[in-house]
Amino acid sequence: MTHTIKLKANSRPEVMERILRVVRHRGFNLEEVLMKQCQTTNSTKITLKVSGDRPISNLETQLNKLYDVSQLELHQSTATADSAVAMNA
Amino acid sequence: MTGAELVLKVLQQHGIKHIFGYPGGAIMPIYDALYDSDVEHFLCRHEQGAAFSAIGYARSTGKVGVCMATSGPGATNLVTGLADAMMDSVPVVAITGQVFSSLIGTDAFQEMDVLGMSLSITKQSFLVQSLDELADILHQAFEVAQSGRPGPVLVDIPKDIQVGSVDFEPYPIAQKQVPDFDAQVLADAQALIKAANKPLFYIGGGVGMADAIDEMQDLLAKTKIPAISTLKALGTVPADYPYNLGLVGMHGNQAANHAVQDCDLLICTGARFDDRVTGKLDTFAPNAKVIHLDIDPAEISKLRQADISILADFKKLLPELAVTTEISPWQQQVAELKTQYAWRYDYPGDSIYAPKLLNLLSQKLPFDHAVSCDVGQHQMWVAQHMLFSSPRNHLSSGGAGTMGFGLPAAIGVQVARPDCMSVVVSGDGSFMMNVQELGTIRRFKLPVKIVLLDNQRLGMVKQWQELFFEERYSETNLSDNPDFVTLAKAFDIPALTISQDDQIEDGINQLINTDGPFLLHVQIDDKENVWPLVPPGKANHDMLEGEKV
Ligand SMILES: Cc1ncc(C[n+]2csc(CCOP(=O)(O)OP(=O)(O)O)c2C)c(N)n1
Ligand SMILES: [Mg+2]
Repeated sequence: MTHTIKLKANSRPEVMERILRVVRHRGFNLEEVLMKQCQTTNSTKITLKVSGDRPISNLETQLNKLYDVSQLELHQSTATADSAVAMNA
Repeated sequence: MTGAELVLKVLQQHGIKHIFGYPGGAIMPIYDALYDSDVEHFLCRHEQGAAFSAIGYARSTGKVGVCMATSGPGATNLVTGLADAMMDSVPVVAITGQVFSSLIGTDAFQEMDVLGMSLSITKQSFLVQSLDELADILHQAFEVAQSGRPGPVLVDIPKDIQVGSVDFEPYPIAQKQVPDFDAQVLADAQALIKAANKPLFYIGGGVGMADAIDEMQDLLAKTKIPAISTLKALGTVPADYPYNLGLVGMHGNQAANHAVQDCDLLICTGARFDDRVTGKLDTFAPNAKVIHLDIDPAEISKLRQADISILADFKKLLPELAVTTEISPWQQQVAELKTQYAWRYDYPGDSIYAPKLLNLLSQKLPFDHAVSCDVGQHQMWVAQHMLFSSPRNHLSSGGAGTMGFGLPAAIGVQVARPDCMSVVVSGDGSFMMNVQELGTIRRFKLPVKIVLLDNQRLGMVKQWQELFFEERYSETNLSDNPDFVTLAKAFDIPALTISQDDQIEDGINQLINTDGPFLLHVQIDDKENVWPLVPPGKANHDMLEGEKV
């Protein structure tokens, strides 16, 4: 499955590392990243496209409990080519 | 004032009177400020010792433990302790000195990316970037360490920020925020408990961490629902509760493991379905619906799907679950399991049977005592054969299983609770991992009582080699251990060796009655194993039961 997650986080220099570490450690692959600093609100907006077989809710809760993450939305989940084949088999 | 003085001021604002640490170049301004401060610093003999003492301090009181180290190797020596605190959800604040901001990233002397290293072993960490944010970050550190599911927080402070000058502004300390739970979900949970024929509380460390032991005990007294405990929960359920089944899991009581396999409703209360508890996960409590109660959303349905989950402060939630139950056949079954699988100590023989010694020790210790232990067979014997009146009195490295935990943790306990008898039960392998902390005991004249169970082996690993690796004893023989009595005496600690069953009583009496610290060196048979045991990959009802040698 591939999932798109949108995050708002505190604008600390290490925040991206922190988030990506959780993605990797909790068993997901990173497919795409978009990150933008917002100077006025001192926050960072991040969009991640990740793939993996584990339940995405586990990743959501782990990311959400990071102190620096203030908002998280799961945007869409789609079966990837590989897992689509697996599901049909 | 200077940034360094500010650090100590903020610590005091949070009620911190004692800290554990070790100085070095990049943290010298803070140590200089400490020289005139009322905060009492305990110099340990290794930063890992400082981290474990801070953990002992925190676990035995429920307060935040604080440790301090210099940059580079000082900070890396804290890492294992912080990882341990992370896995057992212990509120610890670690303060590390860092090189001058301008030198960060230049490979300066003792400059390491401590923030980078901290990411996976702390709940949150900060590299302070300016004096303006120093106070705020320190306050956040205390807030984060204690709120929700507790955990360690690291604050890395460059030297220029420690020496810079700043105004101190008192900071209002925020009240803990408690999530509110949904009335309908609560009603569903109550209904499920009422309807169950074989409900079982599966109690974890979360109850103690939420300071909700009274509420838990009250709930048990009202519902009379049987209970099993994780390693971290031991002491939560009163020892004389008739349906207290004790430790569950790999080395749990047979009765607890059979009960959990048979229950029809598992009420997981601040526990996390660790593999040492569940055995083969998909065979764990196979007939049970699950109610999962926790403060951490990430634990819900992480490993076992919950039928109902409630996120809440247990102090508020537990009283709401006191429904009336009609479960006498189940209670009877549990009582019978308890009798059937009760421990016995009446084995013949002259050598010392460690479980018997620990059980007797447990009976003889004064009411106000706490036992810290290390990791291995002796740790499991402590969990099985000693009784605790609170989880704050049983400190065991659970999630991380870190050898070397016991001695420095017991030091932290003794500093936090001077009137308490702080006991460490260690193994000959583990003891040597932080043996330098005997120096801390000596320096501060701490009356820590040490019981060293010496089987001349890395016993737990050896047991696995015997059972699962065809008795190929690779690198687990410690028969060239030092003379532990002489070692203790080098630190002015009186010590005694015992090796016979009829010396147990006298040994324990000397340990307890000698003023100040004492080391009781107990020689035991290297072939004694921990039973029962759920082999890896097996279900909890498939326990192996061995013979006493
Ligand atoms: C830091 C660390 N290294 C290695 C291990 C693996 N380990 C688990 S128990 C054990 C043996 C412990 O020996 P000892 O302290 O003598 O206790 P015993 O099992 O003999 O009672 C080892 C090596 C560990 N848990 N922690
Ligand atoms: Mg040993």
